[in-house]
Amino acid sequence: MNSTVTQDYEVPSRRLEIDKYVVPAVTIVIGLLLAFFLIFPIFSILQLSFFKGGEVSLATFTLDNFYKYFTTAYTLNALWHSLYISFVTTIFVTVITFFFAYALTRTTIKGKSAFRAIIMMPLIAPSIMQALALIYLFGRNGLITSHLFETDWNIYGSTGIIVSEILYCLPHSFVILFTTLSAVDIRLDEAAESLGASPLKVFTKITLPSAKYGILSAAALTFNLTITDFGNPVVIGGNYNVLATEIYSQVTNLYRFDLGATIAIILLIPSMMAFLLNYYISRKSFAMISGAARPFIPPSKTLKKIGFTVYNTLISSSIILIFATVIIGSFVKVWPYDWSLTLDHYTFPSIGGYSAIWTSFWISIIVGVVGSFVTLVAGFVMETRKPFFKQTMYFFSVMPAAIPGLVMGLGYILAFNKPYFSFYGTPWIIVINIVICNFTLGVLSSISNLKNIDPSIEEASISLGGDTIRTFFNIIFPLARVAFFQNFIYFFMRSMTTISAVIFLVSASVHLAAIEIIMLDNDGWTASANAMCTCIIAIVLVVLGISNFVNKRTISHPEGGALA
Amino acid sequence: MKTVWSTIVISMLALFCFTVSAVAKDTVVVYTALENDEIVKYLALAKKELPNLDIKAIRLSTGELGARMLAEKNNPQVDVIWGWAVTNMAGFVDRGMLEKYKPKNWNKIPDHFKDPKGYWTAIDLYAAAFVGNKRVLKAKGLPMPQSWNDLLEPGYKDRLIMPNPASSGTGFLQIASLLVMMDSNYKTRPIEDNRAWDFLKRLDKNMGQYIKSGSKPAKLTAAGEYAVGCSFAYVYTSLKKKGFPVQMALPAEGVGYELEANALVSGAKHKRAAKKFLDWAISKSAMKQYAKFKLGVTYPGIGGPKGLPPIATVKLAPMDFPWQSKNREKILTVWSNLFLK
Repeated sequence: MNSTVTQDYEVPSRRLEIDKYVVPAVTIVIGLLLAFFLIFPIFSILQLSFFKGGEVSLATFTLDNFYKYFTTAYTLNALWHSLYISFVTTIFVTVITFFFAYALTRTTIKGKSAFRAIIMMPLIAPSIMQALALIYLFGRNGLITSHLFETDWNIYGSTGIIVSEILYCLPHSFVILFTTLSAVDIRLDEAAESLGASPLKVFTKITLPSAKYGILSAAALTFNLTITDFGNPVVIGGNYNVLATEIYSQVTNLYRFDLGATIAIILLIPSMMAFLLNYYISRKSFAMISGAARPFIPPSKTLKKIGFTVYNTLISSSIILIFATVIIGSFVKVWPYDWSLTLDHYTFPSIGGYSAIWTSFWISIIVGVVGSFVTLVAGFVMETRKPFFKQTMYFFSVMPAAIPGLVMGLGYILAFNKPYFSFYGTPWIIVINIVICNFTLGVLSSISNLKNIDPSIEEASISLGGDTIRTFFNIIFPLARVAFFQNFIYFFMRSMTTISAVIFLVSASVHLAAIEIIMLDNDGWTASANAMCTCIIAIVLVVLGISNFVNKRTISHPEGGALA
Repeated sequence: MKTVWSTIVISMLALFCFTVSAVAKDTVVVYTALENDEIVKYLALAKKELPNLDIKAIRLSTGELGARMLAEKNNPQVDVIWGWAVTNMAGFVDRGMLEKYKPKNWNKIPDHFKDPKGYWTAIDLYAAAFVGNKRVLKAKGLPMPQSWNDLLEPGYKDRLIMPNPASSGTGFLQIASLLVMMDSNYKTRPIEDNRAWDFLKRLDKNMGQYIKSGSKPAKLTAAGEYAVGCSFAYVYTSLKKKGFPVQMALPAEGVGYELEANALVSGAKHKRAAKKFLDWAISKSAMKQYAKFKLGVTYPGIGGPKGLPPIATVKLAPMDFPWQSKNREKILTVWSNLFLK
């Protein structure tokens, strides 16, 4: 293509000359960014766990930390605890969300859009809200345990972690299963049924096998989310330690950065395995999606409809219950003794207070803009320009999903707290950390959105003399507006709610709202922790509302927005 | 569309620069392990009395504060340590991470409340206390415990809560006081053989939870989650004021306590401002403010808060600060191996 164009036209050839440099340059810049902000911190952790004093040499190589880890009963237990909790959570979440998604894709129950909205709700709150609510409901002095049933049973420990993780992971698993079940051709089920197969047989022989990759992928994701979560276990775990909390306590209580780094490596292994499984499966599962799939669903039997409506209502109500508990809990005087309403808990007894909410907000806006722009560029270069390093770049881009936030945070301290890295201690390190930690989903959604853009538009741009930069800004960027908005919302939400990645990075000048929740709860200001949580939820909802509004308006006037 | 975007991006960047540039004033960065609600009050006063200082502070637990300092050792982000357990302070003097500074009016502070060389100056003393929930105790037919030994009663099983000494300064002072009081040979006997561990093992059978922070046992007890929380004295008065059904007892065997001290960090980037802050932090007006929260302050002649017994009438445990700071890590390792599951 290049040769013919250069022979015929003078101007485009110069542009394509620039093009030759732009694509590799962009690729290299993104590659370097990932190497510096992703690989370097991980390398620092490896260094500290395998070498005495973190100095790399043959003489200082040691396995002492690992020996110590595996011979100390309570640190080793953290591994079993983490695995146990993640397995149980994974099974529950996958089963629950499978039937939830089944009801929405294969039956004709009413209120589907409401169910869909409700199950996505946990995404807008930090992964600590579930634990806060469960303590109010099922703690030693919980509304349900102590006051309704007057029992001594309480939810602290493994049960509490599992229940809160289930409630936290629902939307993540649901999205995958919903997509899978909507994509698999429903006519297979119909054909089997008309050939005389019983409903159970259709379900076990057709529906389940055709969704198996989606199920595995959802399970792997849930496992990963659970094993790397820090917020819920730290609040409701009680004496039950897991790997994520153990990293934190080794570093902050015993000053054992080396042991903390070692446990980080140990946590990295199962989460990396779950990630690789997911990666492998999701590549395969695309093959299962039939282009001839059609959304028509035959009317379901009444009994089936009632059953699934009840089931979906139950799941949805438990999510709503969690939200209601936290929000109501932030407005009542002394839960559960004094139900009079008050705004006292909104005068936060902490240094951060409202300024922390404000800081969180504008950091999240920046994370949203920077994150969605960088991932869109990365996706664009990889998908349409196919640079020489595409595979490597792709691998690095999806790797952050495998790395627990807490591990990244620790790695950032170890790697970047040097006098010559002037961004350490500023808000920028937090922005970078959150963008890198959530890079994977941004890139993946950019790629899948770019796939939807008809390549002929782009070709037209090039044949009319547009170079890569022009094509990107004038054609791709406006067309990928939806992708950009989606990514912006995603990065914004993650940034408002993330705890584990940034708990090591907040500083005297940068307080973040999600971390304030942990601090307030640690000091026993549970009601104020609920209030802070409510503030975050409110802000995310407002931003979601605004961007939905803007998005709808620009879409309804496509010619106005697209090429302006 | 493009202009809209660039306007958004530019205004965001401008906002960002604005926020960052606010730091460029006469800043002092403070790490503190004082309680959050106290700090808010102290800082309000500090802002009035030190109008030229831009005080950037972060509250960290006793353990977190040390970990931060160590992590940032080669590139200190902090200028001043404010209200941190003296037990932890000693180890950081040895590591060369603190700098000598005798603040204005240093001479007014009695000698046993400060480092002779001026590495640290204590501001207050806070003491262990049991906080009980009257309603829960009554409902379960349990008496308010008056001593550590009372806590061994089987009736308290799973209704007690105490802080984890590894993360909480309050937790550590409780354990340290027991180690010193229950074994007269604590200095010569290896730490792991200390007599107090037998007591703690029996106590462990009743303990519902070891929790991260020192005030949380009292607060969870007040909320009815537990019957008795091993916490510290002041938190009781603040909970009572808020209307929780709580009562307090000081352990009859002897009340463990800890000094909280200030220090200048070596390599501080804002040394001049840091010294100004440290001067203020032991001034009489600051001390008066501390005294509204603490069992005792180190400035002579200032009484403690209402609702707590005067410090002179309290039977304090014979704390051995040099010994416990030298053996802190060892004590915590033994404790962790025994009681973490």
